[in-house]
Amino acid sequence: MSGISRRKFLTCTLVGAGATALSLKTDAFASAKLEGYPDSMGVLVDLGRCVGCRSCEAACNREQNLPAPAQSFEDQSIFDQTFHNGQKRRTDENAYTVVNRYEPEGTENPVYRKVQCNHCNEPACLTSCFVNAYTKTSEGAVIYNPNICVGCRNCMIACPFNVPAYSYSSATNPIIKKCIFCYDTRLKNGQPPACVEICPQQVMTFGHRKELIEIAHERIKTHPDRYIDHLYGEDEVGGTSWMYLAPAPFEEIGFDTTMNNEPIISNVKDFLGTVPMVLAIWPALFTGFHLLATRKHDIEHHGDDHQKHKDEEKKS
Amino acid sequence: MKTHLANQGKVVDSHKRSADGAPWTLKEKLLLGMTMQQYIVQAVRNPFNWILALIFAVGLPLIAGRFFFGLNWVTHSSNDYPWGLFLGFGLFAMVPLSASGFMLGTTVEIFGRHDFRPIERLALLNGLLGYLFAVIYLLVDLGQPWRLPYPMVVSFGPAAVLFLVAWHVATYLSVQVAEVSSSFFEWIGWPAAKKFIREITVGLTVSGIILSTLHQGALGALFTYAPGKVHPLWYSASFQWLFFFVSAIPAGLCMVIAVSTIARKTMAWRCDEEFKTNLDKLTISLAKGASMGLVTYFTIKTIGIAHDNEWGYLATGWGAWYMVEMVFGVLLPIAIFAWAIRNRSASLARVGAFLTVAGIVLNRLNTALITFNWRLYQEIPHWREVIISLTIFAIYIVTYRFILYRLPILFEWKEEKVLVPETVAAAVRSNEKYQGAPEPVATYRTTD
Amino acid sequence: MRIKMIVPVIVATFVLVAGFTSLPAEAAPPAQVRIDQLSKDFEPVLFDHANHIEMVGDCGECHHHTTGTAAKDPDCMRCHNSGSSGERVACRDCHAAEPFSADHLKTTTEDRKRYHRDLLGLKAAYHRSCMGCHEAGGGPTGCLDCHLRTESGDALFRAGKHTPTPTEKAAGHH
Repeated sequence: MSGISRRKFLTCTLVGAGATALSLKTDAFASAKLEGYPDSMGVLVDLGRCVGCRSCEAACNREQNLPAPAQSFEDQSIFDQTFHNGQKRRTDENAYTVVNRYEPEGTENPVYRKVQCNHCNEPACLTSCFVNAYTKTSEGAVIYNPNICVGCRNCMIACPFNVPAYSYSSATNPIIKKCIFCYDTRLKNGQPPACVEICPQQVMTFGHRKELIEIAHERIKTHPDRYIDHLYGEDEVGGTSWMYLAPAPFEEIGFDTTMNNEPIISNVKDFLGTVPMVLAIWPALFTGFHLLATRKHDIEHHGDDHQKHKDEEKKS
Repeated sequence: MKTHLANQGKVVDSHKRSADGAPWTLKEKLLLGMTMQQYIVQAVRNPFNWILALIFAVGLPLIAGRFFFGLNWVTHSSNDYPWGLFLGFGLFAMVPLSASGFMLGTTVEIFGRHDFRPIERLALLNGLLGYLFAVIYLLVDLGQPWRLPYPMVVSFGPAAVLFLVAWHVATYLSVQVAEVSSSFFEWIGWPAAKKFIREITVGLTVSGIILSTLHQGALGALFTYAPGKVHPLWYSASFQWLFFFVSAIPAGLCMVIAVSTIARKTMAWRCDEEFKTNLDKLTISLAKGASMGLVTYFTIKTIGIAHDNEWGYLATGWGAWYMVEMVFGVLLPIAIFAWAIRNRSASLARVGAFLTVAGIVLNRLNTALITFNWRLYQEIPHWREVIISLTIFAIYIVTYRFILYRLPILFEWKEEKVLVPETVAAAVRSNEKYQGAPEPVATYRTTD
Repeated sequence: MRIKMIVPVIVATFVLVAGFTSLPAEAAPPAQVRIDQLSKDFEPVLFDHANHIEMVGDCGECHHHTTGTAAKDPDCMRCHNSGSSGERVACRDCHAAEPFSADHLKTTTEDRKRYHRDLLGLKAAYHRSCMGCHEAGGGPTGCLDCHLRTESGDALFRAGKHTPTPTEKAAGHH
């Protein structure tokens, strides 16, 4: 029986490693920081103005052809609904945006908070998707291609705002359901999203993200008594296209204030960085171990039946 | 099976019957040397099969229902818990328990520890089946499982950790099929194919190490996408991949101990003398490796807590739960292994191994499910989800048993030496002819 | 008083979409304003301007400084301290019906030299101007107190005959 030559053996190793390397070529570079598109649009949500009329929910439902809700959009009793240990309503396959009511201590009126996709500058959903189903458009929208989605739901795990929902009810074509900034029907034609347009109070201001940041800080400066001195989304997880001003502490009205200012992908960088290292070091390292650990005879006759080794061991 | 052997039945462990020298047919090989009737009788006699039948009777219709009625029929359709038991247990727990393949492959082929040979094939098979069933769990969980090849052929998301996992698991699964195939080739009688696999064994093994290191780690790294959702005690941006990779080492080794223990107990007839006599010694050796892995794991987990300064969490309820996991899943096994190695007690080492396996499963469930969304609420999986998970695990056991009964995993295939190199080509030719032949008349000739 | 008047007779109607941009400062104020920007989903609102003049008395309550009275807000006073009446009086003269159109954005938020970059749109200007007083003075505050919904509006809000029946439950799970 012909034994394996050293060259042959090394070739095997390299082919194995090479095949792996090919599939991973861009991993290490994928984590470069993206500041967002310079002309990205955004929406400034001023929660101090919201009166909880839920017009935005209704407009979204119509614009996106969503299924009929369980209750009328007029029905204010929906604000009393809680789920699972006091959870407020969240976005799901039937609603891309929801408004929740909060009663923070020390404020006279309730504070309403509108939830929808915040359209991150460097979206976690996008970076976690292994088929690249998400796109951050130059207008700022984070859109989704349902035709290639496999349904792993990693984006739902990754989203720090718990926004993407899944249409579990469909057996044949379940897809991710989330706010797309009305990209197809409005944003790309230069129009504001449906919720922004319908809002009677102009809770939402649509414009270029960088100008909205200036305007937001101007509002805080002009009316320090009305606002918490923070623009939520300016820096959170690398910045979002939708940003919030609030009349009460953010943590008391359902916001996660423990978020890092780095995009989510930064947490993954440590691992992604090790990938090319492992690919480069392991083959040589373990081949080296192999050469050190086995005698010349073992290498040359590796293909032989192991009984031979045992016989030798018994003899020696 | 015991009854069959008691009635002077023969065990298939070579191409030929020992009595008359006539070769086994493929059908006889599949039926373990029994007639169809004998085979059915022994299968019905086994009470374990009745339990399995019960699980399948309930579970298989539920699995079918999942594909007909959608995921919301079998799960709570949670948008907050997109990954339930199928992935929490099926993927995240099965994969580390399957690290045995690359661990033993490395030990034997790379470090030249040929004394581990009797258990190497079991470890490789354990790896293969674990991965295979992790993929099956995944297929049940994916919204559109028919699109599974998309990340390979349709659209690439190379920045995603899951992209890496998909590619590595797919590649590694093929590597493992190749590694395990040599026992299949022995069994079916294709020596040339086996010889080819042997020649590329080291290459396969090294690529196995690379792929395993990366995707065991990558499974951990998947959770670094969810910094606010996984409880800080189970989360570490810097070390998550190391936690998963390092804990996979004792997990894989202990799974081999656990499976070999069960195999030795429940299918002693199938184990050859070499396996039986070496098992205790090998168990101790594996326990040594596992305890080193566990000590390392414990150390880096502690470093992880120190690094992110999470000591305060230990005083909370979650901290207590964390301590339960660490004490019963890591520290207690370390103590048991230390005692077992010192006293050379294989049975004690087995206790430690089962504990470790449970501890790693708990760790993965804690990370993926139990402490996930710790600031929101805890979700209890739907009963159908639990039953389906159990059913797939039962299929895993049945497949495992089916292969162990037949292929030379726990025993060495006899008669191999009669195949002299010069006749390999002839043997291949003749075998090619047999491939198309109808089953009952197929015979396998060795070059005697 | 009732704002909810569906009298089709229009005495001196300001149609918001009409083309003229400003009103001579000395012109008589309109007695009634027809607000029909949302006419798809809501019936037009006929705002009884004359009645409000009578009730409120001080035009500056609603019209900033533009009607000749001095600005009330000390911040506005820094510039608008003359108390002279402005050329632009009607809400829509400054507050655009489509505040987020690409054209309008160029003159507001995108115009970095402009002081009043952060300008409300017309609809919000109305609502935010009305609601404060109505809340304080006991005026109507519910949406339907001023707006009658059209058929399309009922469909939009799933109200009226479009109200979902209790059995028509959405499949979503939270």
